Amino acid sequence: MISSLPEQTKTPAPAGVFTLVITGAPYSSQAPQTALRFARAALAANKRIDRVFLYGDGVHLASSLSAPPSDELNLCDAWSVFLTENHIAGVACIASALRRGLVDESEMQRYQLTASNLRAPFEIAGLGEWVDSMATGSRVLYFHKGA
Amino acid sequence: MITLKTLHILNKPPEHSRYRLCLRAIGPGDGLLLTENGVLAVTRLSGIDSERCFALAADLEARGLSSQVSTDQTVSFDGMVDLTASAENVISW
Amino acid sequence: MSTLIIIDQPPYGSWEGREALDMAFSLAAFDQPVSLLFCGAGVNWLRKGQDAAEVQQKSIERNLAAAPVFGVEALLADRSACDQYGLDDAALLDHVTITDLGKELTGRFDHVAFAG
Repeated sequence: MISSLPEQTKTPAPAGVFTLVITGAPYSSQAPQTALRFARAALAANKRIDRVFLYGDGVHLASSLSAPPSDELNLCDAWSVFLTENHIAGVACIASALRRGLVDESEMQRYQLTASNLRAPFEIAGLGEWVDSMATGSRVLYFHKGA
Repeated sequence: MITLKTLHILNKPPEHSRYRLCLRAIGPGDGLLLTENGVLAVTRLSGIDSERCFALAADLEARGLSSQVSTDQTVSFDGMVDLTASAENVISW
Repeated sequence: MSTLIIIDQPPYGSWEGREALDMAFSLAAFDQPVSLLFCGAGVNWLRKGQDAAEVQQKSIERNLAAAPVFGVEALLADRSACDQYGLDDAALLDHVTITDLGKELTGRFDHVAFAG
């Protein structure tokens, strides 16, 4: 039995660099929209965003097959344009993505699937990318579903 | 702008179990930023230091709640960036 | 850098808790200090005697038993939630420390995060 709480050391994080973790899916939560508005404001304030990490249901944001009605904001497209224009890495967690049917070319071949649907510039990678953000002192902000 | 110890970002409505968890975790020197569904709390929140409780303007406006919050407690996305960058820690509930 | 991952979703009915566990195990795998806190309906992860065969899922009990081995520093359970769900020491998995979710606890960590 662990008899007491482990001792923790507190180190304040510098907050010039942000990592955004999006766990809420587009069109079932407001998370991708809030995160995009935040990201634009952060760059306008001369902050850096080192990566955007999609986790859980958030991976649906990286789908190239999303086709909302033309009078609605196309969130997948808006995010992909934003990341490309600002040279920000977009990473979809591989375990979340594969479970939910979000695959790139190489995963398609590996699992002999009939199609791939990962929208550029998103890439598929492991949770190690998120750990890297945590360990290197980025301010990691989470955008979860709101209900 | 005041420096916050922990900024709590709350995007859940008051009925959500995580809303109550968040309120339990707010300590002295902390701040609360209501976003998305979380702004519905402005109709009933009381007892939180008004200098340290904020709501996101876009979400208030969308829900017809702008008039319920004083302008110095309403923040834009620029303000949200400032709050998240200057706080010592941030928890997204 | 120390991280507290909070699980407040009950087991088997959603994947959020499993994905929270993956986050904790990943941090531990990279030698980053991490603890898990179960609160709300999430404390039901910690009940002894789970058998998920008939819901065709992997039992979480075994995963959690391995948490200390993988380097997760502490499995914490919120006292009020344990009371609410009838979880006493006898019903709880081994290696669980009962605590209270509040500012004293969250203030001890550099990062506090949910999986979703």
